[in-house]
Amino acid sequence: MPSWPANTKYISQSTKRVDAVAKVTGSAHYSSDIQASGWLYGMILRSKWPAAKISDINLDKALQVPGIKAAVKARDGEFTVRFYGEELAAVAGTTKQACLDALHAIEVKAEPRQEFVVREDDAMKDGAAQVWDGVPNVSTGKVRETGTVDQAFTECAAVIEGFYSAPVQLHHPMETHGNTVSWTDDGVTAWASTQGVSSVRDGLAGALKLDQSQVRVLTDFMGGGFGSKLGGGVEGVLAARLSREAKAPVRLMLTRFDNALAVGNRPSSFQKIKIGALADGTLHAFEMENYGTAGIGAGADQGGGGGGAQIPAPYIYKVPNTRVKQSAVAVNAGSSRAFRAPSHPPASFGMESAMDDLAAKLGIDPLEFRLKNDSNEVRQREYKIGAEKFGWKEKYQKPGGSPGVVKTGIGCAGANWPAGGPSRRTQGEAQINPDGSVEFRLGVQDIGTGTKTVIAVVAAEMLGLKPEQITVKVGDTNYPPGPASGGSTTCASISPTVYDICTKALDQLQTQSGIADARGDNWFAACKKLGVTPLVVHGTWIEGLSTRPAYGVQFAEVDVDTETGLVTLKKVVAVHDCGLIVDKLTTESQINGGIIMGMGYALYEERVMDDLSGVVLNPNFETYKLSGIADVPEIEVFLINMPERGVIGIGEPATVPTAAAIGNAVFNAIGARVGSLPITPAKILAALGKVPPVAKS
Amino acid sequence: MKAFAYATAHSTDSARELAADNGTYLAGGNDLLGLLKDYLVPAPKTLVNIKSLPGMGEIVRSENKWVIGSLVTVGEIERNEELRKAFPGLRDAASEIASPQIRNVATVGGNLAQHSRCWYFRHRDTVCLKKGGDLCYARNSENRYHSLFTGNDCISPVVSSLATTFAALDATAIVLCNGVETLFSMADLYQKAFTTVTAHNSLAPGDLILRVRIPTIRTRSAYMQVSDKHAFDWALVSCAAAANVVDGKLSKPRVALGSISPVPHQVEAANQFLEGKPLDDDTVSKAADMILAGATPLEHNGYKVPMARALIRRTLLKLKG
Repeated sequence: MPSWPANTKYISQSTKRVDAVAKVTGSAHYSSDIQASGWLYGMILRSKWPAAKISDINLDKALQVPGIKAAVKARDGEFTVRFYGEELAAVAGTTKQACLDALHAIEVKAEPRQEFVVREDDAMKDGAAQVWDGVPNVSTGKVRETGTVDQAFTECAAVIEGFYSAPVQLHHPMETHGNTVSWTDDGVTAWASTQGVSSVRDGLAGALKLDQSQVRVLTDFMGGGFGSKLGGGVEGVLAARLSREAKAPVRLMLTRFDNALAVGNRPSSFQKIKIGALADGTLHAFEMENYGTAGIGAGADQGGGGGGAQIPAPYIYKVPNTRVKQSAVAVNAGSSRAFRAPSHPPASFGMESAMDDLAAKLGIDPLEFRLKNDSNEVRQREYKIGAEKFGWKEKYQKPGGSPGVVKTGIGCAGANWPAGGPSRRTQGEAQINPDGSVEFRLGVQDIGTGTKTVIAVVAAEMLGLKPEQITVKVGDTNYPPGPASGGSTTCASISPTVYDICTKALDQLQTQSGIADARGDNWFAACKKLGVTPLVVHGTWIEGLSTRPAYGVQFAEVDVDTETGLVTLKKVVAVHDCGLIVDKLTTESQINGGIIMGMGYALYEERVMDDLSGVVLNPNFETYKLSGIADVPEIEVFLINMPERGVIGIGEPATVPTAAAIGNAVFNAIGARVGSLPITPAKILAALGKVPPVAKS
Repeated sequence: MKAFAYATAHSTDSARELAADNGTYLAGGNDLLGLLKDYLVPAPKTLVNIKSLPGMGEIVRSENKWVIGSLVTVGEIERNEELRKAFPGLRDAASEIASPQIRNVATVGGNLAQHSRCWYFRHRDTVCLKKGGDLCYARNSENRYHSLFTGNDCISPVVSSLATTFAALDATAIVLCNGVETLFSMADLYQKAFTTVTAHNSLAPGDLILRVRIPTIRTRSAYMQVSDKHAFDWALVSCAAAANVVDGKLSKPRVALGSISPVPHQVEAANQFLEGKPLDDDTVSKAADMILAGATPLEHNGYKVPMARALIRRTLLKLKG
């Protein structure tokens, strides 16, 4: 069985991103920067109705707009739209303004339907408008029961009931969705902002009825995807069709408005939880009813991983008697898509909130309560480290115990990410040149997490070189196939693959050169012996160097102004594990980013649907609020390095417990539960009983 | 955005002339371009660049007043040390507006004249009352950011934090109306928005804000706001106060609130009540009660009542120095 080197120069150390300078100087060309020769702008016309029958789309006037080179319908014939923002048509032209004018010139014959429903509660009512004809809005899953729940509750010393909810969270990566596509007689080239060059290649080939060999997808730099850029999307197919029509490459990057409507989201979750413990604090009984919407994609469960409304429950704790019922609710709104640790943040928020509410009822410290009930050994270690670094004991006061108008509170929560392991199909190659330069080529992509740096770090370690001596090429379907970057699987897939390439390369180089150890100081001498022919070595993922899952815990400290309701997140201490840490610096970056995204979920982010018009009311960063620099707290990250476990991904677990820890800190500060995310000043004041009733007009 | 002509005015007369035929003034452009790009207002025939108008970008101090040209940027207000000493509340208000980049181009005139931020008004696919439709969506649905007071069916609040602060400082806007310099108190400047569904201030087409005059009869001022976020976010409620404090007692006190009414919310009876009162907890609490009497909370904006109350108390107490 292979194993990772014990004494390392680069692995588990801090190596600056290999593309850091390119990124901060702007020389890195992202998908949205691509300027293929003769390229045109592309734009999409979207439904302004939440539900309508479209009988005709006339593109004639759009095609007459000066500068417009092509226009296509999203679908032919009559069809039904089921959410505000659904794609109707697309245009390509020489300027943005031409495209905007053309979108206004398209004539759409539509019969808007007055019956639509955009809110979960409304969709569940008897007689609610049906999102899908003849199909109930609510799909009710089976009740899952273990033990004897009703009996068990009677045996509990303390039982609490709570209602915990999280809204739909929108996908808003810094780079919007989109691509430049060139479709010629030779085939399709797509410069896509994607998390999966291979999956986009296959998707485009299927949709355009082309051989997969005729489609090439390139992603050199991309600005984030978080689960929402695993496929080519409607925008990929439309860009291709526009390119075919216009006989020119078409750059179709979505606007921020588009992104708020139709690139997927994290489903909402409404959890009614009843939970009880025995007198000694052991969890004994748990009951949950959860519903949520995945937009029009709900009504049929998609399971946890694909962006459906179901969540794992009871989250991370083992309870002997449990009853869980979950349903998905269809509404007329954009559908869900995988979103950084799908289903885990809402699961964590509900369960961990209930844990603190129960701890309060039992009169015990919520950290002690977790240590008693969390059987996971890694998290046990992490809680102890975190408590020490955070100063839990010194800071802890009973809920509401903090004096004064501005109250301080602390909270904690744990994570579990069952994926994070490898994709076993991962391949790659290295070309070692006689001058000693070396290039690694893998058909994976760097979604901003540091994949290129990880490849350079592992290769440098194995070959006895420096990371800057390794040229890394990814994001091209012409390279040996790699996995899509979803589920935090990339690092665990590519690290063993690079290990395998390096082992094989050294074997071959040593044989060919006759130098027993070609690493380090001998590298250039060995390469020189290759003569004129570079050495190209192919490698694959191999067993024994990667695994899963990852855990992690986080602690949060907040100030809550009980007169204005303002919550200030002061500090987060995060303790995480991901097996063998490949690069400490980019690992910490993932955790920082996970926490910042998690705090947005806790305090700011929420898709707001208008029930009267059916539109998304906040399709912009003005009212879809994201954490800004002024909001971000002091973050301290502590890592447990476990080389013996092999490599595990970290991107997703890092965001799982943040919202729950913050919610618990708020509860600890004010002694009242805000069970609904985001925790806004308005909700704080309501929880404190300070909001007057609605005035009668 | 529809095609338009672009012209630069070098005098107020030429500005008026250029704008006379369905033209719109352009200064910082933050508000205007957003409105045009989302097709929220009728397309103007001409955008009249007023950034070159002479004398309107200056901050001038004289014996008993400060005069701030309408082309002065919010960033300049924030950074002017002398102005900050005279009116610390104005500086604090300026520093809370948007982001540094926006403050560097946003003008005083534009901040005062900016249109409603109601998310129904700003939405490209809803036709609300303010846009000539027949329904105030906010009143019946998502009204968390809306007014506690209004005199008409539209509940979109004034969001200019400068207006709130100018109101507390008893400042006057000097506006060129039909070629005549006309004085507007802050109450006057927004009164029409209080009574008229489609208005967001009292200005008529072609009116041009020239400058704002602030009397120096109050030595203390303060401004506070609460937003969902800690920076680059609109105020949920804002409050400004100004007064003299002599021997711990208030004189010439004024309080104004933003984001809870279509106008800077001022209650003269409360100002009168505060006159001569000691600046203590009891005084500010009573003032808050008076200022918020008659508030009409809707389904989602009731939180603004306790928030406003806290802000009134704190802003007044801040005048202690």
